[in-house]
Amino acid sequence: MKRIVIDPFTRLEGHGRIDIFLDDAGDVANAYLRVPELRGFEKFCEGRPVEELPRITPRICGVCPSAHHMASTKAVDAIFHVDPPPVAKKIRELYYCAHMCHSHIAHFYALAAPDFVLGPTSDPAQRNILGLIAKVGVDIGLEVIKNRANAQHIQEVIGGKATHSVCGLPGGVSKAVTEEERSDFEDKAKTMVEFGKFSLKLFNDVVLSNKEYVDLILGDIYYMTSYYMGMVDANNKVNFYDGDIRVVDPEGKELVKFKVADYLDIIAEHTEPWTYLKFPFLKKIGWKGLVDGMDSGVYRVAPLARLNVADGMATPLAQAEYEKMYSTLGGKPAHHTLANHWARLIELQYAAERLLELCQDEEITDPNVRTLPTATPTEGVGVVEAPRGTLFHHYQTDANGMVEKVNLIVATGNNNAAMCISIKKAAQGLIKAGKVVTEGILNMIEMAYRAYDPCIACATHSLPGQMPLEIVIYDKEGKELDRLSQYIT
Amino acid sequence: MKTLVLGLGNPILSDDSVGFRVVQQLKARFDKPDLTLVESSASGLSLLDLVNGYDKVIIIDAIKTQGGEAGKIYRLGAENLGAIRHSASPHDINLATALELGKKLGAALPQQIIIFAIEVVEVTTFSEKCTPEVEKAIPLAASMVAEELGA
Repeated sequence: MKRIVIDPFTRLEGHGRIDIFLDDAGDVANAYLRVPELRGFEKFCEGRPVEELPRITPRICGVCPSAHHMASTKAVDAIFHVDPPPVAKKIRELYYCAHMCHSHIAHFYALAAPDFVLGPTSDPAQRNILGLIAKVGVDIGLEVIKNRANAQHIQEVIGGKATHSVCGLPGGVSKAVTEEERSDFEDKAKTMVEFGKFSLKLFNDVVLSNKEYVDLILGDIYYMTSYYMGMVDANNKVNFYDGDIRVVDPEGKELVKFKVADYLDIIAEHTEPWTYLKFPFLKKIGWKGLVDGMDSGVYRVAPLARLNVADGMATPLAQAEYEKMYSTLGGKPAHHTLANHWARLIELQYAAERLLELCQDEEITDPNVRTLPTATPTEGVGVVEAPRGTLFHHYQTDANGMVEKVNLIVATGNNNAAMCISIKKAAQGLIKAGKVVTEGILNMIEMAYRAYDPCIACATHSLPGQMPLEIVIYDKEGKELDRLSQYIT
Repeated sequence: MKTLVLGLGNPILSDDSVGFRVVQQLKARFDKPDLTLVESSASGLSLLDLVNGYDKVIIIDAIKTQGGEAGKIYRLGAENLGAIRHSASPHDINLATALELGKKLGAALPQQIIIFAIEVVEVTTFSEKCTPEVEKAIPLAASMVAEELGA
C-alpha cells in the first residue's frame, strides 16, 4: 500500500478530513481522521510570565476556554508550590460546574439531539437545532436558551465576562462571592437541576423508547473496546475539577490510578507521518497501532469514559441515572460510542446538582480567597476534565517564573486513535467489495465523529460556517477512487 | 436607535485578530450613548446572547474566500449568510442558524445586520500581529464602519 506523507504546511482549511484506504478485495483496510493543528503555541508562550498563561491559554479554543483556564490555573498553583484556601477551590469548582452545564447543554441540544430526534438518515437541512425545535416545540428551545444563559451568567459574574472569562490566580481566585451573588446562583442552579431531569426524560422518551435508535446505540458500527481514563475524587466518583486520574481496562478493572504530576510515567505520545496530531497511549500496554482491545495501549476519555472509570456519581439524581444506563447497556464498562450522548446528560445532571451543593455551602461567601505564593517557581502540571476529556497543562519556568517550556495534551488528543478506529468501523460497515454506499455514509461517519465531539479549534466563529467534512477513498495502490464531501466549496 | 459594533476574532491568532483591531480603532474615535463597541470571541449561540436587544448590529470579522485578495473588505448582509445550517465547529451552530433560531424563539433581534468581512491570509499560527496586507486594511475598514455609523 502506498505510504502517504503529509507536507506539514498543507492547509486543511479548518475542516475534518478522513482518508480511507481499501485493500485488494475493495474492503476498508484503514481509515484516518486528519485534523488541522494550530501551530506555534509553545513558541508563543516562551518567555512570558507564567501567571499570564491562564489568560492566554483559553484563547486556544473558543469552545472550552474555561477548561483551559482551569487546567492552566492549577498548573500555575503547582509551579509556585502554593495551595489555595478551601473557599477558592470551591469557587473555582462552582464556576467550572457552570461551564460543564453550559457546554453539555449546547452540545446535546444543538448537535446530538437532532441526530436522534430527526433521525440519522434525515435530510441534513433539517438535522439541526431548527429542525429539533420544529419537532419538539418552541418552549423547549426557550428552556435550552434560558438554562444555557444562566450557566453562562454564573461564569460571567465570577470571571468578569461570558466567553474567555478569567478568575484564577496563583494560589486562589480574583474575587469572593457575595451573598447576593450566591443567592442568585442558587436559584439558577435549582432550575438547572430540573433541566437536567427534563433532558434525561427527553432522551428516554425520544431515544430509549425508539427501538431503531437503541439498536443503533447497541449496534456493531459504533462499538469498540478500549481502556478508559478519567478524573475521580477520593471516593472514585466522577469529579471535573480535581482528583487523581484513573485508568480501567476493557473489562473494567483498574489498571492504574495516578497523581497528575506523574502523567508522563503513564502516557506517551506516538507520532505518524500523515497527521499533525499525536496519538497518546498507555506506556504500560504499549503502542500496537490503530487497533482496539486489551492488548492495545489506546484509551478513551470524555463522558462515557469518565463514567466507565468511576465507581459512581457523587450526587443522588445522577447516580440513579448512572445505574439505569449501565443496566440498559448490559453492565460496565460500556463500549458503545454513541452512549457518550447519554453519559453526557448524566454528567449534566451531576454538574447541576454539584453546582447547587456548592451554592449552598456555608463557606462559599468566605472573603479569604487567596494564599499568596512565596516559593520559587519551577515546574507544574494542572489537569481538569474538560467537556471533551482529560486536559493536561504542563509548564516549566525559570526561577523568575518566565515560561521555558509548555506541553499540553488536549482533551480530544487523547481520543485521537479511538476516533480513527471508530471511523474505520463505521466505514467498514458501509464500504464492501469496492462498492461505496454513498447515501448515508457521510451521516453515519459524521455520527461517529460527533459522539467524540472533537475540537477543531480554529475557525470556530468564521462566517458563514458549515460542518465541512471530506472523505477520500483510495485503492490498494493509494490511487484516489472517490471523494465525497459536504459543505466544502 | 441602539447600535452594536461587534468585532469578532481571536487576538492571538494572527489575522484572526482583525475584527478586534478595527473595533479598537473605533473605540478611540467614538463615544456615543446609544452606541456599544465590543470585542468578542463568541460564536453561534453565544452571538445570539450578544446581539439581543439592539436595533442595528455591525459585525467585523475575518473571512477567507477561494482565490480572495488579501486585505479586501466586503460589506455583507444577513442574506449573504446563506441557508447553510452546520458550523465549522462540531460544537456550535453558525450565525445564520443562530439568527433564525432567535427569530423562531421570539428574541428581540436587530432589524439591521451588516457584516464587514476582511479577507485574511494566516489564521493557523499564533501571533499578536496581522500579516502586512491585513494590517493595511484595518484603518480602511474602520473608516467604512464609521461611515456606516453616519460619522
